[in-house]
Amino acid sequence: MTAHVPAIDARVAFTVGAGARAFHVEATLSLDSGVLVLFGPSGVGKTLTLLALAGLTPVTAGHVHVDGVALLDTARGRSIPVHERRIGYVPQSQALFPFLDVAANVGFGLPRVLGRGARHARASRTHEWLVELGIAHLASAYPESLSGGERQRVALARALAVEPRLLLLDEPFASIDEDGAAALRDVVREVIRRHHVPAVLVTHDVDEAIALGDRLVRFARGKTAEAGDPRAMLGRA
Amino acid sequence: MMGDAVFPVLLSLRVAVLALAIVAPAGVALALTQARARYRLRRLVDVLILLPLVLPPSVIGFFLILVFGRRGAIGGLLDSVLGVRLVFTPAAAVIASAVVAFPILVKTVQPAIEAVPVELELVARTLGLSSIAVLLRVTLPAAWRGVLAGLVLGFARAIGEFGATLMFAGNIPGRTNTMPLEIFTAYQTGDDSRAALYVAILTGLSVGVVLVANSSGPRAMSR
Repeated sequence: MTAHVPAIDARVAFTVGAGARAFHVEATLSLDSGVLVLFGPSGVGKTLTLLALAGLTPVTAGHVHVDGVALLDTARGRSIPVHERRIGYVPQSQALFPFLDVAANVGFGLPRVLGRGARHARASRTHEWLVELGIAHLASAYPESLSGGERQRVALARALAVEPRLLLLDEPFASIDEDGAAALRDVVREVIRRHHVPAVLVTHDVDEAIALGDRLVRFARGKTAEAGDPRAMLGRA
Repeated sequence: MMGDAVFPVLLSLRVAVLALAIVAPAGVALALTQARARYRLRRLVDVLILLPLVLPPSVIGFFLILVFGRRGAIGGLLDSVLGVRLVFTPAAAVIASAVVAFPILVKTVQPAIEAVPVELELVARTLGLSSIAVLLRVTLPAAWRGVLAGLVLGFARAIGEFGATLMFAGNIPGRTNTMPLEIFTAYQTGDDSRAALYVAILTGLSVGVVLVANSSGPRAMSR
Protein backbone atom coordinates (compact mmCIF):
# COMPACT_ATOMS: atom_id res chain seq x y z
CA MET A 1 0.00 0.00 0.00
CA THR A 2 1.39 3.34 -0.99
CA ALA A 3 0.00 6.59 0.26
CA HIS A 4 -1.74 8.73 -2.32
CA VAL A 5 0.73 11.02 -4.04
CA PRO A 6 -0.69 14.24 -5.49
CA ALA A 7 0.29 15.10 -9.06
CA ILE A 8 1.30 18.60 -8.05
CA ASP A 9 2.20 20.01 -4.68
CA ALA A 10 3.98 23.33 -5.01
CA ARG A 11 4.57 26.62 -3.30
CA VAL A 12 6.81 29.19 -4.94
CA ALA A 13 7.76 32.69 -3.82
CA PHE A 14 9.98 34.98 -5.85
CA THR A 15 10.42 38.53 -7.09
CA VAL A 16 11.18 39.63 -10.63
CA GLY A 17 12.50 43.06 -11.56
CA ALA A 18 13.85 45.57 -9.10
CA GLY A 19 12.97 48.87 -7.49
CA ALA A 20 9.65 50.39 -8.49
CA ARG A 21 9.15 47.71 -11.15
CA ALA A 22 9.61 44.81 -8.78
CA PHE A 23 6.83 42.23 -8.93
CA HIS A 24 6.35 39.68 -6.21
CA VAL A 25 4.77 36.30 -6.86
CA GLU A 26 3.59 33.91 -4.20
CA ALA A 27 1.71 30.89 -5.46
CA THR A 28 0.45 27.76 -3.73
CA LEU A 29 -0.68 25.00 -6.06
CA SER A 30 -2.07 21.53 -5.55
CA LEU A 31 -3.61 18.99 -7.88
CA ASP A 32 -4.58 15.36 -7.35
CA SER A 33 -4.58 14.50 -11.04
CA GLY A 34 -5.60 15.95 -14.39
CA VAL A 35 -5.46 19.64 -15.25
CA LEU A 36 -4.85 22.55 -12.91
CA VAL A 37 -6.09 25.88 -14.24
CA LEU A 38 -4.33 29.11 -13.29
CA PHE A 39 -7.10 31.63 -13.74
CA GLY A 40 -7.09 35.41 -13.75
CA PRO A 41 -6.60 38.52 -15.90
CA SER A 42 -3.26 39.15 -17.58
CA GLY A 43 -0.39 40.57 -15.57
CA VAL A 44 -1.13 38.77 -12.31
CA GLY A 45 1.80 36.35 -12.41
CA LYS A 46 0.31 33.25 -14.04
CA THR A 47 2.99 32.92 -16.72
CA LEU A 48 5.72 33.72 -14.20
CA THR A 49 4.42 30.88 -12.04
CA LEU A 50 4.70 28.51 -15.01
CA LEU A 51 8.29 29.62 -15.56
CA ALA A 52 9.01 29.03 -11.88
CA LEU A 53 7.60 25.49 -12.06
CA ALA A 54 9.78 24.79 -15.08
CA GLY A 55 12.84 26.17 -13.33
CA LEU A 56 13.20 28.96 -15.86
CA THR A 57 13.07 31.74 -13.28
CA PRO A 58 14.79 31.65 -9.89
CA VAL A 59 12.60 30.93 -6.89
CA THR A 60 13.54 32.48 -3.55
CA ALA A 61 11.64 30.09 -1.34
CA GLY A 62 9.38 27.12 -1.81
CA HIS A 63 9.07 23.67 -3.26
CA VAL A 64 7.81 21.95 -6.40
CA HIS A 65 6.79 18.32 -6.06
CA VAL A 66 5.46 16.53 -9.14
CA ASP A 67 4.15 12.99 -8.61
CA GLY A 68 6.20 12.85 -5.43
CA VAL A 69 9.47 13.93 -7.09
CA ALA A 70 11.06 17.05 -5.61
CA LEU A 71 12.05 19.22 -8.57
CA LEU A 72 12.71 22.06 -6.17
CA ASP A 73 13.01 22.31 -2.42
CA THR A 74 14.75 25.45 -1.26
CA ALA A 75 14.65 24.36 2.39
CA ARG A 76 16.82 21.38 1.48
CA GLY A 77 18.90 23.29 -1.06
CA ARG A 78 17.62 21.08 -3.84
CA SER A 79 16.90 22.29 -7.37
CA ILE A 80 16.95 20.08 -10.44
CA PRO A 81 18.22 22.14 -13.39
CA VAL A 82 15.70 23.01 -16.09
CA HIS A 83 17.11 20.71 -18.73
CA GLU A 84 16.84 17.71 -16.40
CA ARG A 85 13.31 18.38 -15.10
CA ARG A 86 11.46 16.85 -18.06
CA ILE A 87 8.87 19.58 -18.29
CA GLY A 88 6.76 20.03 -21.39
CA TYR A 89 6.42 23.76 -21.90
CA VAL A 90 4.17 25.37 -24.49
CA PRO A 91 4.55 29.16 -24.28
CA GLN A 92 1.84 31.47 -25.55
CA SER A 93 3.93 32.36 -28.61
CA GLN A 94 4.46 28.61 -29.24
CA ALA A 95 8.13 29.40 -29.90
CA LEU A 96 8.59 26.93 -32.74
CA PHE A 97 12.13 26.84 -34.05
CA PRO A 98 11.81 28.79 -37.33
CA PHE A 99 14.87 27.21 -38.92
CA LEU A 100 13.58 23.64 -38.51
CA ASP A 101 10.71 21.87 -40.25
CA VAL A 102 7.78 20.47 -38.29
CA ALA A 103 9.27 16.98 -37.87
CA ALA A 104 12.58 18.40 -36.59
CA ASN A 105 10.69 20.68 -34.20
CA VAL A 106 8.72 17.76 -32.77
CA GLY A 107 11.80 15.53 -32.47
CA PHE A 108 13.98 18.31 -31.03
CA GLY A 109 13.91 17.07 -27.45
CA LEU A 110 14.42 13.39 -28.22
CA PRO A 111 17.83 12.10 -27.20
CA ARG A 112 20.43 12.57 -29.91
CA VAL A 113 22.36 9.33 -29.90
CA LEU A 114 24.61 8.47 -32.81
CA GLY A 115 23.98 5.45 -34.95
CA ARG A 116 21.48 4.41 -37.56
CA GLY A 117 19.31 2.46 -35.13
CA ALA A 118 18.98 5.43 -32.81
CA ARG A 119 18.24 7.76 -35.70
CA HIS A 120 15.55 5.41 -36.91
CA ALA A 121 14.00 5.19 -33.44
CA ARG A 122 13.99 8.99 -33.26
CA ALA A 123 12.28 9.29 -36.60
CA SER A 124 9.59 6.77 -35.75
CA ARG A 125 8.94 8.34 -32.34
CA THR A 126 8.61 11.71 -34.04
CA HIS A 127 6.24 10.24 -36.58
CA GLU A 128 4.03 8.76 -33.87
CA TRP A 129 3.59 12.18 -32.30
CA LEU A 130 2.93 13.81 -35.66
CA VAL A 131 0.17 11.26 -36.25
CA GLU A 132 -1.25 11.55 -32.75
CA LEU A 133 -1.72 15.31 -33.16
CA GLY A 134 -2.91 15.07 -36.73
CA ILE A 135 -0.01 16.95 -38.32
CA ALA A 136 1.80 14.12 -40.15
CA HIS A 137 1.01 15.78 -43.48
CA LEU A 138 2.93 18.87 -42.33
CA ALA A 139 6.13 17.00 -41.40
CA SER A 140 8.34 18.85 -43.87
CA ALA A 141 6.61 22.22 -43.65
CA TYR A 142 8.25 25.18 -41.92
CA PRO A 143 6.58 27.01 -39.02
CA GLU A 144 6.11 30.26 -40.96
CA SER A 145 3.68 28.52 -43.33
CA LEU A 146 1.45 27.10 -40.57
CA SER A 147 -1.86 28.37 -39.20
CA GLY A 148 -2.24 29.22 -35.52
CA GLY A 149 -3.91 25.91 -34.74
CA GLU A 150 -1.28 23.91 -36.61
CA ARG A 151 1.51 25.74 -34.83
CA GLN A 152 -0.11 24.92 -31.50
CA ARG A 153 -0.30 21.22 -32.40
CA VAL A 154 3.38 21.21 -33.33
CA ALA A 155 4.28 22.91 -30.05
CA LEU A 156 2.20 20.37 -28.13
CA ALA A 157 3.74 17.41 -29.96
CA ARG A 158 7.23 18.79 -29.32
CA ALA A 159 6.50 19.18 -25.60
CA LEU A 160 4.89 15.73 -25.26
CA ALA A 161 7.55 13.88 -27.25
CA VAL A 162 10.00 14.10 -24.34
CA GLU A 163 7.42 12.28 -22.16
CA PRO A 164 7.29 15.09 -19.63
CA ARG A 165 6.33 14.53 -16.01
CA LEU A 166 4.44 17.82 -16.17
CA LEU A 167 2.89 19.76 -19.04
CA LEU A 168 2.71 23.57 -18.90
CA LEU A 169 0.30 25.28 -21.29
CA ASP A 170 0.25 29.08 -21.51
CA GLU A 171 -2.96 30.40 -23.12
CA PRO A 172 -2.81 27.63 -25.74
CA PHE A 173 -5.96 28.71 -27.57
CA ALA A 174 -5.42 32.46 -27.59
CA SER A 175 -4.09 32.72 -31.14
CA ILE A 176 -6.63 30.40 -32.71
CA ASP A 177 -10.07 31.05 -34.23
CA GLU A 178 -13.13 29.73 -32.38
CA ASP A 179 -13.73 26.53 -34.37
CA GLY A 180 -10.05 25.62 -34.34
CA ALA A 181 -9.90 26.28 -30.60
CA ALA A 182 -12.82 23.96 -29.90
CA ALA A 183 -11.23 21.15 -31.94
CA LEU A 184 -7.85 21.68 -30.35
CA ARG A 185 -9.38 21.72 -26.89
CA ASP A 186 -10.67 18.19 -27.50
CA VAL A 187 -7.24 17.12 -28.73
CA VAL A 188 -5.54 18.53 -25.65
CA ARG A 189 -8.01 16.89 -23.27
CA GLU A 190 -7.65 13.57 -25.06
CA VAL A 191 -3.84 13.62 -25.16
CA ILE A 192 -3.54 14.57 -21.50
CA ARG A 193 -5.96 11.82 -20.49
CA ARG A 194 -4.34 9.14 -22.60
CA HIS A 195 -0.80 9.87 -21.42
CA HIS A 196 -1.68 10.50 -17.79
CA VAL A 197 0.46 13.63 -17.72
CA PRO A 198 -0.52 16.24 -15.15
CA ALA A 199 -0.93 19.67 -16.72
CA VAL A 200 -1.03 23.29 -15.64
CA LEU A 201 -3.10 25.50 -17.92
CA VAL A 202 -2.93 29.29 -17.86
CA THR A 203 -6.06 31.00 -19.09
CA HIS A 204 -8.46 33.88 -18.53
CA ASP A 205 -11.23 32.19 -20.51
CA VAL A 206 -14.12 30.81 -18.41
CA ASP A 207 -15.31 28.23 -20.96
CA GLU A 208 -11.79 26.94 -21.45
CA ALA A 209 -11.22 26.69 -17.70
CA ILE A 210 -14.42 24.68 -17.23
CA ALA A 211 -13.92 22.49 -20.29
CA LEU A 212 -10.40 21.41 -19.36
CA GLY A 213 -9.86 22.05 -15.67
CA ASP A 214 -10.10 19.53 -12.86
CA ARG A 215 -9.14 22.15 -10.35
CA LEU A 216 -8.80 25.91 -10.56
CA VAL A 217 -6.62 28.44 -8.77
CA ARG A 218 -7.55 32.07 -8.98
CA PHE A 219 -4.72 34.59 -9.25
CA ALA A 220 -4.81 38.17 -8.07
CA ARG A 221 -1.83 40.51 -8.11
CA GLY A 222 0.86 37.88 -7.92
CA LYS A 223 -0.87 35.75 -5.31
CA THR A 224 -3.01 32.64 -5.46
CA ALA A 225 -6.27 33.71 -3.83
CA GLU A 226 -8.58 30.71 -3.75
CA ALA A 227 -8.74 27.22 -5.20
CA GLY A 228 -11.45 24.69 -5.91
CA ASP A 229 -13.65 23.04 -8.51
CA PRO A 230 -13.69 25.12 -11.73
CA ARG A 231 -17.48 24.91 -12.21
CA ALA A 232 -18.26 25.88 -8.65
CA MET A 233 -15.76 28.71 -8.60
CA LEU A 234 -16.77 30.18 -11.95
CA GLY A 235 -20.47 30.02 -11.12
CA ARG A 236 -21.53 27.31 -13.56
CA ALA A 237 -22.44 24.60 -11.12
CA MET B 1 55.40 40.27 -64.42
CA MET B 2 52.17 38.34 -64.07
CA GLY B 3 53.11 36.98 -60.64
CA ASP B 4 53.92 40.51 -59.57
CA ALA B 5 50.35 41.56 -60.39
CA VAL B 6 48.76 38.55 -58.75
CA PHE B 7 50.68 38.81 -55.48
CA PRO B 8 48.61 41.66 -53.94
CA VAL B 9 45.41 39.80 -54.77
CA LEU B 10 46.49 36.59 -53.09
CA LEU B 11 48.02 38.46 -50.16
CA SER B 12 44.83 40.45 -49.61
CA LEU B 13 42.70 37.31 -49.69
CA ARG B 14 45.04 35.51 -47.28
CA VAL B 15 45.14 38.48 -44.92
CA ALA B 16 41.36 38.92 -44.91
CA VAL B 17 40.62 35.21 -44.44
CA LEU B 18 43.10 34.94 -41.55
CA ALA B 19 41.81 38.14 -39.96
CA LEU B 20 38.26 36.80 -40.17
CA ALA B 21 39.34 33.42 -38.75
CA ILE B 22 40.75 35.25 -35.72
CA VAL B 23 37.87 37.65 -35.29
CA ALA B 24 34.85 35.45 -36.06
CA PRO B 25 34.86 33.17 -32.99
CA ALA B 26 35.69 36.01 -30.61
CA GLY B 27 33.26 38.40 -32.30
CA VAL B 28 30.33 35.99 -32.31
CA ALA B 29 31.03 35.07 -28.68
CA LEU B 30 31.12 38.75 -27.70
CA ALA B 31 27.93 39.44 -29.69
CA LEU B 32 26.21 36.61 -27.79
CA THR B 33 27.44 37.99 -24.48
CA GLN B 34 26.36 41.54 -25.24
CA ALA B 35 22.96 40.40 -26.50
CA ARG B 36 22.10 37.99 -23.71
CA ALA B 37 24.21 38.55 -20.59
CA ARG B 38 23.43 41.28 -18.08
CA TYR B 39 26.55 42.44 -16.32
CA ARG B 40 27.74 45.67 -14.80
CA LEU B 41 30.13 46.91 -17.52
CA ARG B 42 27.98 45.90 -20.47
CA ARG B 43 27.26 49.46 -21.64
CA LEU B 44 30.94 50.38 -21.43
CA VAL B 45 31.95 47.31 -23.45
CA ASP B 46 29.29 48.22 -26.02
CA VAL B 47 31.03 51.57 -26.49
CA LEU B 48 34.54 50.10 -26.56
CA ILE B 49 33.56 47.67 -29.32
CA LEU B 50 32.67 50.61 -31.53
CA LEU B 51 35.96 52.46 -31.03
CA PRO B 52 37.94 50.92 -33.91
CA LEU B 53 35.05 51.87 -36.20
CA VAL B 54 35.29 55.51 -35.20
CA LEU B 55 39.02 56.03 -34.68
CA PRO B 56 40.98 57.27 -37.70
CA PRO B 57 42.90 54.36 -39.27
CA SER B 58 46.23 56.09 -38.71
CA VAL B 59 45.40 56.37 -35.02
CA ILE B 60 44.63 52.65 -34.88
CA GLY B 61 47.94 52.01 -36.67
CA PHE B 62 49.73 54.12 -34.08
CA PHE B 63 48.11 52.22 -31.21
CA LEU B 64 48.98 48.90 -32.83
CA ILE B 65 52.64 49.92 -33.07
CA LEU B 66 52.45 51.04 -29.45
CA VAL B 67 51.21 47.62 -28.36
CA PHE B 68 52.86 45.27 -30.86
CA GLY B 69 56.04 47.27 -31.63
CA ARG B 70 59.42 46.19 -30.31
CA ARG B 71 59.00 48.36 -27.24
CA GLY B 72 55.30 47.60 -26.85
CA ALA B 73 53.80 45.43 -24.12
CA ILE B 74 53.05 42.47 -26.38
CA GLY B 75 55.58 43.24 -29.13
CA GLY B 76 58.43 43.47 -26.62
CA LEU B 77 57.48 40.13 -25.10
CA LEU B 78 57.27 38.45 -28.51
CA ASP B 79 60.67 39.87 -29.44
CA SER B 80 62.48 38.86 -26.25
CA VAL B 81 60.87 35.46 -25.78
CA LEU B 82 60.30 34.20 -29.32
CA GLY B 83 62.46 36.57 -31.32
CA VAL B 84 59.41 37.49 -33.37
CA ARG B 85 58.96 41.02 -34.72
CA LEU B 86 55.54 41.87 -36.07
CA VAL B 87 55.93 45.38 -37.46
CA PHE B 88 56.23 45.48 -41.26
CA THR B 89 55.22 41.84 -41.67
CA PRO B 90 52.15 40.21 -43.29
CA ALA B 91 51.13 39.18 -39.77
CA ALA B 92 50.86 42.87 -38.91
CA ALA B 93 48.52 43.31 -41.88
CA VAL B 94 46.37 40.48 -40.49
CA ILE B 95 46.21 42.13 -37.06
CA ALA B 96 45.32 45.53 -38.54
CA SER B 97 42.56 43.97 -40.64
CA ALA B 98 41.26 41.97 -37.68
CA VAL B 99 40.99 45.05 -35.50
CA VAL B 100 38.92 47.01 -38.01
CA ALA B 101 36.76 44.01 -38.94
CA PHE B 102 35.90 43.27 -35.32
CA PRO B 103 33.38 46.05 -34.56
CA ILE B 104 31.41 45.68 -37.77
CA LEU B 105 31.17 41.92 -37.19
CA VAL B 106 30.00 42.25 -33.59
CA LYS B 107 27.61 45.09 -34.30
CA THR B 108 25.96 43.19 -37.18
CA VAL B 109 25.63 39.90 -35.30
CA GLN B 110 24.51 41.37 -31.97
CA PRO B 111 21.13 42.80 -33.09
CA ALA B 112 20.40 39.58 -34.98
CA ILE B 113 20.83 37.65 -31.74
CA GLU B 114 18.81 40.20 -29.79
CA ALA B 115 15.98 39.65 -32.27
CA VAL B 116 15.78 35.93 -31.45
CA PRO B 117 12.78 35.51 -29.12
CA VAL B 118 13.88 34.44 -25.64
CA GLU B 119 11.01 31.91 -25.59
CA LEU B 120 12.88 29.81 -28.15
CA GLU B 121 15.75 29.47 -25.71
CA LEU B 122 13.46 28.80 -22.74
CA VAL B 123 11.65 26.00 -24.57
CA ALA B 124 14.95 24.50 -25.70
CA ARG B 125 16.08 24.40 -22.07
CA THR B 126 12.95 22.47 -21.07
CA LEU B 127 13.62 20.08 -23.97
CA GLY B 128 16.84 18.99 -22.32
CA LEU B 129 19.49 21.34 -23.71
CA SER B 130 22.25 22.83 -21.55
CA SER B 131 22.87 26.59 -21.83
CA ILE B 132 25.79 26.08 -24.21
CA ALA B 133 23.78 23.67 -26.36
CA VAL B 134 20.97 26.24 -26.53
CA LEU B 135 23.36 28.84 -27.94
CA LEU B 136 24.74 26.45 -30.55
CA ARG B 137 21.54 24.67 -31.56
CA VAL B 138 18.96 27.43 -31.19
CA THR B 139 20.27 30.97 -30.79
CA LEU B 140 22.92 30.94 -33.53
CA PRO B 141 20.82 28.99 -36.07
CA ALA B 142 17.89 31.33 -35.45
CA ALA B 143 20.20 34.31 -36.08
CA TRP B 144 22.15 32.70 -38.92
CA ARG B 145 21.34 35.38 -41.48
CA GLY B 146 22.71 38.07 -39.22
CA VAL B 147 25.78 35.98 -38.47
CA LEU B 148 26.39 35.49 -42.18
CA ALA B 149 25.93 39.21 -42.85
CA GLY B 150 28.40 39.99 -40.06
CA LEU B 151 31.01 37.62 -41.48
CA VAL B 152 30.64 38.98 -44.99
CA LEU B 153 30.81 42.63 -43.90
CA GLY B 154 33.76 41.84 -41.63
CA PHE B 155 35.55 40.20 -44.53
CA ALA B 156 34.92 43.20 -46.76
CA ARG B 157 36.20 45.58 -44.11
CA ALA B 158 39.28 43.40 -43.57
CA ILE B 159 40.20 43.17 -47.23
CA GLY B 160 39.78 46.91 -47.70
CA GLU B 161 41.99 47.95 -44.77
CA PHE B 162 44.44 50.69 -45.73
CA GLY B 163 45.50 53.23 -43.11
CA ALA B 164 46.37 51.06 -40.15
CA THR B 165 48.01 48.51 -42.45
CA LEU B 166 50.17 51.20 -44.03
CA MET B 167 51.45 52.32 -40.65
CA PHE B 168 51.76 48.96 -38.94
CA ALA B 169 52.63 46.57 -41.78
CA GLY B 170 54.20 49.06 -44.15
CA ASN B 171 53.89 48.89 -47.91
CA ILE B 172 56.65 46.48 -48.83
CA PRO B 173 56.40 45.14 -52.41
CA GLY B 174 56.18 41.37 -52.47
CA ARG B 175 55.59 41.27 -48.71
CA THR B 176 52.88 43.56 -47.34
CA ASN B 177 51.50 45.34 -50.41
CA THR B 178 47.83 44.39 -50.19
CA MET B 179 45.43 45.55 -52.93
CA PRO B 180 44.39 48.81 -51.25
CA LEU B 181 48.06 49.75 -50.72
CA GLU B 182 48.93 48.71 -54.25
CA ILE B 183 46.25 51.01 -55.66
CA PHE B 184 47.86 53.91 -53.82
CA THR B 185 51.39 52.97 -54.99
CA ALA B 186 50.37 52.43 -58.59
CA TYR B 187 48.50 55.71 -58.75
CA GLN B 188 51.42 57.58 -57.16
CA THR B 189 53.81 56.19 -59.73
CA GLY B 190 51.48 57.01 -62.62
CA ASP B 191 50.60 53.39 -63.39
CA ASP B 192 46.88 54.06 -63.64
CA SER B 193 45.98 50.85 -65.45
CA ARG B 194 47.55 48.81 -62.65
CA ALA B 195 45.61 50.84 -60.09
CA ALA B 196 42.43 50.33 -62.12
CA LEU B 197 42.89 46.56 -62.04
CA TYR B 198 42.74 46.43 -58.23
CA VAL B 199 40.06 49.08 -58.10
CA ALA B 200 37.94 46.86 -60.35
CA ILE B 201 38.57 43.77 -58.22
CA LEU B 202 37.76 45.51 -54.94
CA THR B 203 34.71 47.23 -56.39
CA GLY B 204 33.35 43.93 -57.72
CA LEU B 205 33.98 42.30 -54.37
CA SER B 206 32.23 45.10 -52.50
CA VAL B 207 29.17 44.93 -54.74
CA GLY B 208 28.99 41.20 -54.10
CA VAL B 209 29.28 41.78 -50.36
CA VAL B 210 26.49 44.33 -50.34
CA LEU B 211 24.24 41.94 -52.25
CA VAL B 212 24.89 39.08 -49.85
CA ALA B 213 24.61 41.25 -46.73
CA ASN B 214 21.37 42.76 -48.02
CA SER B 215 19.70 39.43 -48.68
CA SER B 216 20.75 38.16 -45.26
CA GLY B 217 20.08 41.33 -43.32
CA PRO B 218 17.85 41.87 -40.29
CA ARG B 219 14.60 41.70 -42.28
CA ALA B 220 15.07 37.94 -42.51
CA MET B 221 14.98 37.54 -38.74
CA SER B 222 11.30 36.61 -38.78
CA ARG B 223 11.97 33.46 -40.76
